[in-house]
Amino acid sequence: MSKFLKLLYNELHKLYIRKSTWVMYIILAAIVIGGAVLMTIFDDNTVESEYSENWRAELQAENDEIEQSLQENNNEFMIDMNMSNVEKNNYHLDNDIKPLNYGGWQYTYENAGLSMLIGLFVIIVGAGIVASEFNWGTIKLLLIRPISRSMILFTKFAAVLTFALITLVFLFLLNLAVGGIFFGLEGANPHIVIQKADGFVHASLFGEIMTSYGYDMVNLVMLTALAFMISTIFRNSSLAIGIGIFLLMGGNIVVQALSQYDFSKYILFANTNLKQYETGNVFMEGMTLGFSVTVLIVYFVLFMVLSWAFFTKRDVAGQ
Amino acid sequence: MNEIALELKDVKKTISNKEIIKGLNFQIKPGEVYGFIGPNGAGKTTTIRMMVGLMNLTEGDVKILGKSIQSEYKEAARNIGAIVENPELYSFMTGWQNLMHFARMYEGITKERIREVVSLVGLDNVINDKVKKYSLGMRQRLGVAQAILHKPAVLILDEPTNGLDPAGIREIRDYIRRLAEEDQVAVVISSHLLSEIELMCDRIGIIKHGEIISERYVNEESDQDDAQSDVKVIFDVGQADEAIKVLEDRDIEVKRESDKLVTEINRQEIPNIVQTMVNQNISVFGVTPIKATLEDQFLELTGGNVIE
Ligand SMILES: Nc1ncnc2c1ncn2[C@@H]1O[C@H](COP(=O)(O)OP(=O)(O)OP(=O)(O)O)[C@@H](O)[C@H]1O
Ligand SMILES: [Mg+2]
Repeated sequence: MSKFLKLLYNELHKLYIRKSTWVMYIILAAIVIGGAVLMTIFDDNTVESEYSENWRAELQAENDEIEQSLQENNNEFMIDMNMSNVEKNNYHLDNDIKPLNYGGWQYTYENAGLSMLIGLFVIIVGAGIVASEFNWGTIKLLLIRPISRSMILFTKFAAVLTFALITLVFLFLLNLAVGGIFFGLEGANPHIVIQKADGFVHASLFGEIMTSYGYDMVNLVMLTALAFMISTIFRNSSLAIGIGIFLLMGGNIVVQALSQYDFSKYILFANTNLKQYETGNVFMEGMTLGFSVTVLIVYFVLFMVLSWAFFTKRDVAGQ
Repeated sequence: MNEIALELKDVKKTISNKEIIKGLNFQIKPGEVYGFIGPNGAGKTTTIRMMVGLMNLTEGDVKILGKSIQSEYKEAARNIGAIVENPELYSFMTGWQNLMHFARMYEGITKERIREVVSLVGLDNVINDKVKKYSLGMRQRLGVAQAILHKPAVLILDEPTNGLDPAGIREIRDYIRRLAEEDQVAVVISSHLLSEIELMCDRIGIIKHGEIISERYVNEESDQDDAQSDVKVIFDVGQADEAIKVLEDRDIEVKRESDKLVTEINRQEIPNIVQTMVNQNISVFGVTPIKATLEDQFLELTGGNVIE
């Protein structure tokens, strides 16, 4: 094994041997399984709406029903929502695509937002991975080895990212398995009709799930880098967790509040959601994907350089 | 083979404008055990932190087998094993997992080597228990185990006997001596337990306020210096008055404590004095040279454990 892999193994070993890490997986599992149970019990509509050979007539009937109900109800929100259903059905009919019956893939797709929870876990892990060594006093035994401090810090960050990736894969496989057991699977690589910025498209569910995870990973990596930096500088994991969670939850609110100022486009959280360029719902006129990626890279490098500078230069004295 | 295992060259440390270490110089040869003693706050731990690379040096250099801890950190660190202050290990892992963890940070430490070290520190029976179940002494032993895993040329131990029972202290002492004698390891031990230091070390440096104020070989007195320096000798005699006269004739100052006469004389003079007393029919019941203990010297030199 290379030196890097041995050190990465060490970090992951220390992480996964603790019960607090397992609790995170148990929480995820409880939510995914619980969601499927609740859906089976309460949401017959979604779960049991199966389309037969005769799906064209069924869709047409659905549309007629919706238009009928709309004539009795002029609530604008309801109209919008139902009209998009009608359009979606029409897309199916126009392109001759049979609607997909509900199953594990769609369950996974709907639950892709749980990566937000992973974000929370990753912040907790990232905030603790350096600060804990100081709290435990083990930092002294770690930093007297023939390994540079830069390397130690790098493997710790790599361990957090590995944890994020493992957890994301866990979330994906768990959703697929639980969804598959409860609702059946739609096949190996099912496609679904979904709405994008420029209308409906027939897209691969796997691709959509991965895209969603991918966008969330950007946010996740940035917050991890931030929590990691705070914990490395202040050697205090609670502080880093607090700030990390606050920004995870409130980062968007903060930038929205400041959105009338031009400088707000340089704030990290105006740029973490790269999905805005796909949906076209951009935070501020004139921002481009290239702009956001550049801002993100600058922040990332800043966080890393600050962590590195503090970690490698500072004396390790008693607490 | 390098003649000097560890060298401190004018090492200074200033923390927030306070000079804590004021220029330490010493060299330790392979196979030598160096005791580093001083009162609380003297700067032992600070010095050790600099030796192992946990703290930056404000001035000077530390060399391990000729490699600078500052400019050739990896080469230097490869040859150091250390415990700094309390042996804090991962409490949620077993002793074995802790050792494996640190072994992975070096090249080529085999499981056999780890087992060998576990036996050496006598942890065979508890090595698969979580460290949080360990007593302080057991953790101290595990601390020593992680320090010697990679067969370092220089072993640095900050108060390794802290928390050990007498049997444990004796064991540590034995294998530190064995490491020094058989494997030619240079050992630095800091401690408050002066009697321990005396038994374990070849040489002792006394540090106070960040300076070495005295350095000596442990066997100095009995081997070489006896010829020159005076020792305290107590004469237990039947006829005190006559005996005092014998001594005062030789310009020796005498303090009388009941029947015992306390003097400070050169050891070489004793046979002669005794002969004179016997010749004058003075009954000599006993002559006891009192070797000042290291502890007395330590307190004398450091002025007691006053933290300034
Ligand atoms: N991080 C620090 N900041 C400021 N002063 C410090 C720091 N660490 C140590 N000191 C000071 O340096 C001096 C030496 O401390 P050190 O811990 O090296 O002593 P020591 O000889 O190991 O004492 P002890 O026998 O109590 O372990 C003390 O006066 C202490 O107050
Ligand atoms: Mg100390």
